[in-house]
Amino acid sequence: MKSTSYNLIMSALYKGMKGERPPVGNPTSIVCHGLMDLCGISFPEAHLEPQAMAELALAGHEILGFDTVMPEYSVDQEAAALGCKVDWGDRNRMPDSRHFPYEDFSNVKIPDDFLEKPSIRVVLDALSILRRHVGGKAAIIGKVMGPWTLSYHMAGTQNFLLQIGIEEKEKVHRMIRQLMPATVASARAQFQAGADIVVLADHATGNLVSPRHYEEFLLPIHQELTNTIEGPLILHVCGNCTDRLEMFADAGFDGYHFEWQVDAKTAVEKIGHRMCLVGNVNNPEVLYQGTPEDVYNQVRYAIKAGVDIIGPECAIPLSTPIENLKAIVSAAHEGY
Amino acid sequence: MNDILNTIKEAVINRKRKEIEGLVDDAIEAGIEPGLIINKGLIEAMDVVGEQFSADDIFVPEMLASALAMKLGLAKIKPFLKSGDQPSMGTVLMGTVRGDMHDIGKNIVNMMLEGAGFTVVDLGVDLTVENLMEEIENLKPDILGLSALLTITLPEMERAVREIGDKGLRKNMKIMVGGAPVRKAFAEEIGADGHGADAVEAVDLAKRLIGK
Repeated sequence: MKSTSYNLIMSALYKGMKGERPPVGNPTSIVCHGLMDLCGISFPEAHLEPQAMAELALAGHEILGFDTVMPEYSVDQEAAALGCKVDWGDRNRMPDSRHFPYEDFSNVKIPDDFLEKPSIRVVLDALSILRRHVGGKAAIIGKVMGPWTLSYHMAGTQNFLLQIGIEEKEKVHRMIRQLMPATVASARAQFQAGADIVVLADHATGNLVSPRHYEEFLLPIHQELTNTIEGPLILHVCGNCTDRLEMFADAGFDGYHFEWQVDAKTAVEKIGHRMCLVGNVNNPEVLYQGTPEDVYNQVRYAIKAGVDIIGPECAIPLSTPIENLKAIVSAAHEGY
Repeated sequence: MNDILNTIKEAVINRKRKEIEGLVDDAIEAGIEPGLIINKGLIEAMDVVGEQFSADDIFVPEMLASALAMKLGLAKIKPFLKSGDQPSMGTVLMGTVRGDMHDIGKNIVNMMLEGAGFTVVDLGVDLTVENLMEEIENLKPDILGLSALLTITLPEMERAVREIGDKGLRKNMKIMVGGAPVRKAFAEEIGADGHGADAVEAVDLAKRLIGK
C-alpha cells in the first residue's frame, strides 16, 4: 500500500494494512489563530462562505500536514437550518445559538428545503471544492450532528436533560426520532458532495448522562442511523465514556473519536478489535497549555496503545499554539 | 416531626416533584419551623443528591429533577420565613466566560450553593471581562465563580482572572473556577484561588474561601 494521506486514513478506518506511519486526522476543528493567520482566512467567513471554509480546511493538510481535511468548524449548521438563530461569532469566538425553537417539545418540522438552507449548503459546497482539490489525496471528512445534540439545540440542553430526569420519556423519544431524518439527510448529502468519511457528533457525554440513558434513548437510534447511512461513520462523543465504549461499537459505527479522559490503552482493549479509534491528545493541558514535548509524549503513548488515527480529542482552543499542532504530525511521522 | 422531614428529604432525593409542595404544606401545618424544613429536609436531601452525583450513581438529568423538587419546596416555604431565619453564608457571583453558552454545570453549582445557604447572583453565560468587572464593583461579592465547558473558551477564563486582578478587584474577593475541562493545575496556573471538580467540591471550596 502506498503511504499517501488518503490511503493511510482509509486503511486505518477499516483496520487494514498499516503503512509507514500512523495517520493524523481531525474529525473536529483544528483551527487556531496561527492557522487563520497563515492562510489569511478567519472566522466567521469560514463558517459562512464555501471557498473560505474549504481553504481553511486545506490549510490543515497543506500547512500542518494532517492527513484529513474537515471543513465544518461549528456544531450549529443543522441547528441554523432547523430554525435556531445562530450567532456566527468572530475570530475569537465560536458560533452558538441563543434561542431554542422547540423548548415546548412541540412537533419538530424539518423544512422541505433543509439541504438548501445556507448553513447546510455552505458545507456541501465546501466539500465539493475539497473533492476537486484533494480528492484521492487527503481523506475528506464531513460532520453532522446526531439527534441527541440536535435536541439540545432545539429544546435547550438543560431543558432536554430535565425531561429525562422527570421521566417525560415519551417527549424525549419523540424529539430524538423526529430529528433523526435531519442527521440522515445531512450525512447522505455530505457523502454525495465529496466526503470520504462523516463524523457524527452526538453529545451523550460521560459527564452529563449515564450509560443507562444512552442505552435506553440513543443506542437504538444510533443503530438505525448506522444501518441507514451507507458511508463510513465516526462517532464523536465527548467526556469520559469508558463506561459505554462497548455500546458505541454495538451501535455499528466504523470509528470512535474519543477524549483523553478515556485512557487509550483501555479503549483499545475494550473496542479496538471492533472499531477504529481516533484521538485522543488532550486539549486543555497539552495542546493549549503544554509544550511540543508534552504533545510528543501523548502522541507516542496513543500510538503505542494502538490508537488507529492520531489527533486532538475535540475542537481545539482558538489560541492553541500552532507548534503544538505540528508536533502531533511530527510525532506520528516517526512511525509505529 | 422527623417523619415529615424525612419524607420531604426522600421526596427531593427521589425527584418527586409532584408531591413536594403538598409535603411542605403538611410540615408547615404541623407547625415545623420553616428553617428546619429547609435545613433538615431540603438541604440535607441535596447533600445526599450531591454525593450520589459525585459517585456517578446519578447524572445530570436526575440532579436537575431533584433540584427542581427542591426549588418547588423552597418556593412554598419562602412566604413563611422571617428575616434572620436563614442568615446568608456570603454572596457568590457566578457566570460562564465569554464565548461559552454552557450553563448546566454552573446552574447545578448555583443550586448547591443556595442549598448550602449562600446568596447566589447568577450573571448567566457569555460574559465579557467588562461585564464581570462592572458587576463585581456593583455587588462586591465575597466570591466570584467562573465556569467554562468548552476547551476553546479556557483562554477567556485566564484573561478574566488576570484582568480582574490587574484592576485591583481581588482584594476582598476570592475567585473559584470550574467546568469539565478545568483542572486543578490549570486553575493554579491562571491564579484562581481555588477549583472545584464538581458541585459538591465547589460548595466545600466556597466555604473554605470565606473561612467558614
